[in-house]
Amino acid sequence: MTHTAVVVGGNRTPFAKAGTKFADASAQDLLTAAIDGLVARFGLAGAKVDEVVAGAVLKHTRDFNLTREAVLGSALSPNSPACDLQQACATGLEAVIYTSNKIRLGQAKVAIAGGTDSASDAPVVVTEGLRRAMLKANRARSLPERLKAFAAVRPADLMPVPPAVVEPRTGLSMGESQALTTKRWEISREDQDQLSYDSHQNLARAWDEGFFDDLVTGYRGVARDTVLRPDTTLEKLASLKTVFGREGATMTAGNSTALTDGAAVVLVAEESVARERNWPVLAKVVDAQVAATDYVTGNEDLLLAPARAIPELLERNQLTLDDFELFEFHEAFASTVLATLKALEQNGTGTVDRSKLNVDGSSLAAGHPFAATGGRIVASLAKRLGQRGPGKKGLISICAAGGQGAVMILEAM
Amino acid sequence: MGRDVKVLQTLPDARQLMLKGFRTAMKRPDVSAGLPDRSVMVMDHRQDFARAAEYARACGFTVRDDVPATWLHVQTFPLQMWLMGQPDFPFSLAGLVHVSNDMTLHRPVRADERLRLTVVAENVQPHKRGVTFDLQGTVHVGEELVWEGTSNYLSTKAKLPGQAPEAERLEMPSGEQSQLWRLPADLGRQYAKVSGDWNPIHLHPLTARIFGFPRPIIHGMWTHARALAAFGGSLPERYRVQVQFTKPILLPGKVGFVVDGEKFAVVDKEGKPKLVGRLAG
Repeated sequence: MTHTAVVVGGNRTPFAKAGTKFADASAQDLLTAAIDGLVARFGLAGAKVDEVVAGAVLKHTRDFNLTREAVLGSALSPNSPACDLQQACATGLEAVIYTSNKIRLGQAKVAIAGGTDSASDAPVVVTEGLRRAMLKANRARSLPERLKAFAAVRPADLMPVPPAVVEPRTGLSMGESQALTTKRWEISREDQDQLSYDSHQNLARAWDEGFFDDLVTGYRGVARDTVLRPDTTLEKLASLKTVFGREGATMTAGNSTALTDGAAVVLVAEESVARERNWPVLAKVVDAQVAATDYVTGNEDLLLAPARAIPELLERNQLTLDDFELFEFHEAFASTVLATLKALEQNGTGTVDRSKLNVDGSSLAAGHPFAATGGRIVASLAKRLGQRGPGKKGLISICAAGGQGAVMILEAM
Repeated sequence: MGRDVKVLQTLPDARQLMLKGFRTAMKRPDVSAGLPDRSVMVMDHRQDFARAAEYARACGFTVRDDVPATWLHVQTFPLQMWLMGQPDFPFSLAGLVHVSNDMTLHRPVRADERLRLTVVAENVQPHKRGVTFDLQGTVHVGEELVWEGTSNYLSTKAKLPGQAPEAERLEMPSGEQSQLWRLPADLGRQYAKVSGDWNPIHLHPLTARIFGFPRPIIHGMWTHARALAAFGGSLPERYRVQVQFTKPILLPGKVGFVVDGEKFAVVDKEGKPKLVGRLAG
């Protein structure tokens, strides 16, 4: 017997700029809020779901069981098991892949997938020197031994280490890495600003037409994404100072995503179960693919792994880029999307019709709470495809730290 | 003569009122004259969003838009202090014992809702160790009653003639301790910051010793809130929760939590109760 995994809906918190409205909430609080909103929308209070899968990129050690803890704080039945999963910014999409695969194998019928991140409540860790001394002191059996353990601590070791999004192997921040890509692929400032402008315009329009009314539940007095600037103009974007790259720099705070807090979850179910329960069957998860690039010594680009994943996925499903109604390419930076499009052309995959790209805005306007982005995109795209009619396909592309990327095909039922 | 209704523009500073109450040995009228017939209210109270989140964190709740019932009690607490700080109130603040609490959340209340808070003192009764009285609080949103709660206090310095009425004893749950809570030494100061209850018995060994405790004791209302938080996501949308504070919990310390249907308790390592409660959805 074959099982089909379908997306029946989603829920997310609004996304808020880090250090502002959600600064008091932890990643777990945010995830619990997103789950409870979904529970309310689908009447799941007290109900057991077969699995809840989510993750966070910025994780405290106390969050070793983040998703399960959020489930226990939610209105779901405490008999709902949960699993933490992490693949940097592809976490949310990987969670959907994981749950839909289980559903297709018959191991689950109803599952929740998503992610959460709080850049406001990021872990601050102690230095390596102090950490080692503390572990040693903990193992020590006597006071002198314990004191000896701390004797090795230097004054500089006492400074806390602030969080940073830096690639461990290159020492470059994501923005600095992307600046190399931007230069290599000759992405102009104007194109980046235009993409960013379109993102804000599209997201604002989608909010105004009520598209997110059944996809977002307000949290802590916030009803809409706070990064969104509906009134921004190309002139304003053009006036911003560059923040990444050296000579000829083109990347600004306007065409790069802001640090954001938020959580998003998706309700995935086996098709027959969804129909029995009269849930809307928005789209089925057709297939997915992950890929990675050789970025460490600069042979390839950090954030262009989707350009490797997409041709593999299309070939397996015997599809071309012309077969898609809509494209959702996560906007880590405007130039990431533009470089991915160029790379797809260069490697012979084809051309993405720009009028079908990110039609309801993406991360530049909505913000990007790392692990929450996949859930936001899957729920929005599934809903939009459902409106376009049966058989319409959408392609999701998400790049991630470590030179990785995850892509997925959804198809309206 | 009708009831004296005192309307305050904003919530008074509970810390100031408390310090004043402890510093000045006010001459209090005799309790035999009864309680002054007075209620105090704040018409349009805006909850402190950030403080509500810190409160949730300190007591073990998830930070949500809906606030815990005990948070609404905390909102009325400055009015309790104000009422007890009036010169014609027969009991002095120092030495009052919080005996029990009974509150009902009639519907979920959001942290961004404006509240009308009212507190009135009533129900003076003789007690075998002194005199008890109730502080009765209500919270309205518009005209809708959303929360009500009764705090029962005991003054061991006062006396009233007559037989002490039989107090209803909440039943102990049976079963094993399912949770172990580790209470750090500074928990009283943490809770004072989020609740505004700066009673010196909770703050520091030195200030606690003045009042006869070897170490600071945690606020009963923290223990109450922590017990509600222990129910996690299974806490109903609307509920009545009753607690009786049986023994103080010294800081730092470890206590256990036992729950059995509607009945729950916070216990020491011998299983003796520190707080006994009942939660009904």
